[in-house]
Amino acid sequence: MKPDGVAAQAEPSDLDLVRGIKSGDEDAFEQMVQRYHARVYSLSYGVLRNAEDAEEATQDSFLTLYRKIGTFDESKKFFSWFYRVALNQAYSRARRRKPGTAVSIDDFLPKFASDGHIASPELTDWTTSVEDGVIARELAQKAGDFIADLPPAYRDVIWMYDVEEMATADIAETLEISIPALKSRLHRARLYVRQRLSEVSRGPAQAEAR
Amino acid sequence: MTDWTCRQVILDLLGEYEDGTMAAPERADFERHIEMCPPCVRFLTSYRATGKMLKSLKPEEIPSDLAQSVLAFVRARARKP
Repeated sequence: MKPDGVAAQAEPSDLDLVRGIKSGDEDAFEQMVQRYHARVYSLSYGVLRNAEDAEEATQDSFLTLYRKIGTFDESKKFFSWFYRVALNQAYSRARRRKPGTAVSIDDFLPKFASDGHIASPELTDWTTSVEDGVIARELAQKAGDFIADLPPAYRDVIWMYDVEEMATADIAETLEISIPALKSRLHRARLYVRQRLSEVSRGPAQAEAR
Repeated sequence: MTDWTCRQVILDLLGEYEDGTMAAPERADFERHIEMCPPCVRFLTSYRATGKMLKSLKPEEIPSDLAQSVLAFVRARARKP
């Protein structure tokens, strides 16, 4: 809150707020909540696919922030640290709810003949149905469920990049992986989601042989 | 000039092509394959449609009282330093 009669000042940086929270400044914590609650909720929703769980995970994430801010290394980017805190909270909740259900991504990658051609080419373009808003929403919902089935290493990358539209460098820093590893995981995760969408769009009888 | 197979195009090269980091000569070979390969055209179309669809997955609504509920939750549990 700005004091009366004082001209508006530049927004405090994340690091300013971190230092404020470390020194017990409640206003700094409140500003941090205002700044990041929506992004943490969105991330949590991506993992949990449920509004109530996402809200509770968001609350837990900020409680962890409040309690553990002393362990944050100020030479690092704050949000990358906090994003990892939030991911861990969401995963922990997801494991309690639905343990051990990740699919094997290799089971859902495209298949090729021995000469390198696509094994079972699609005969029609199923993406034309996406122009129908209702079908598009149904498919998007399925895509979210398919992503939720992925091993975390792939799920995080595709959610952060394609859904949250985070910058590549920020994702790599948050997940502590190299950019080439990030790109490789992203591509494989997209291939997986495309394959599963293709199969549900065409029906099991026409699905590519796996 | 290289004749890529569908497997190479889809598994090894497509990601790099889509993010714009592929070198010009490889890009030309990639596009030559796509122009001559209808199954890869359909694959590329659906790959792009998938990426576009994912952008709609963000939760449409953030609970309006979320920030307040977070603050109340933390204040009720946090020990003052």
